[in-house]
Amino acid sequence: MVLITGGAYQGKVDYALEKFNLSRKDIYTCSVDKVEMPEGAPIINNVENLVKACLDNGRDPLKYLAARKSRWVRSVIIVNDISCGLVPMDAEDRAYREAVGRTSMYLAQEALAVVRVFAGIGKRIK
Amino acid sequence: MNVFISGGAKNGKSSFAQRLAVNMAKEKNCPLYYVATMVPHDGEDRARIERHRDDRRGLGFKTIECGRDIDVEIRNRGDGVFLIDSVTALLSNEMFKADGTVDGEASIRISESLKALCKDMDGLIFVSDFIYADGVEYDEITDGYIRGLAIIDRALAKACDRVVEMINGIPIDYKDDRAIQEDWGIKVDKE
Repeated sequence: MVLITGGAYQGKVDYALEKFNLSRKDIYTCSVDKVEMPEGAPIINNVENLVKACLDNGRDPLKYLAARKSRWVRSVIIVNDISCGLVPMDAEDRAYREAVGRTSMYLAQEALAVVRVFAGIGKRIK
Repeated sequence: MNVFISGGAKNGKSSFAQRLAVNMAKEKNCPLYYVATMVPHDGEDRARIERHRDDRRGLGFKTIECGRDIDVEIRNRGDGVFLIDSVTALLSNEMFKADGTVDGEASIRISESLKALCKDMDGLIFVSDFIYADGVEYDEITDGYIRGLAIIDRALAKACDRVVEMINGIPIDYKDDRAIQEDWGIKVDKE
């Protein structure tokens, strides 16, 4: 698995498509409404949405992902970096931000490579 | 050499950009310009501008105050090192009109004009702001501004020779890492 992280609108998807020679149909986009992880999607985008769906449904996102490792271990996972703002006022938002952070660290540990995309340019940081 | 610099607040973007500009102008033996893009709206803005002017005094910068169409202004000066601080202000100047309307095409227009400028000139240093990782869901207009700035940032990053993120005063160069071009030997399963 390769983890791609970076801020909003930085070109994470474009980077993944180009680097691994994939097309838009290879992308699975996680939903905030449904706790779901398909089998072997080449690109799993917006994994923060899956974290949100897990929290909303009383599931632990880390346990959920760890139990389904075979489904993403040969994929590219893309996560939005949402770590750099003020501490959210709302308790639910705080829990969400923390869970996304913990999930990102877990995935970064599991990843063969981690890339941070900045202004459209990727830098391998692991 | 043209350089794009961004990063979070108080990470040393401006002072790194100034040091770089001074060195580049010395090396090229050419005039050194500071393109101040912030249009002051109140006393606080004016005081801030004065403070920045003081900081630059003695470094040899000539200040050009220009909030829009900076490409025309820069082309007119010709040879020189131009520190453009900041891209963020350029976009708000053009996107948010005095009459309260919003120009949705501003980011495309600015990115096209700056891309062309990068192609034709040497010695440009752009400072932008990394405003993309706070995880806040903004209203449509604010989100449009963030998306617009990203369009310009990405165009500049592509066009510039050096792309620098400042973290705690330390420059990280995204184009100085040839490893990103290499084949990593990692295969992604296609369906």
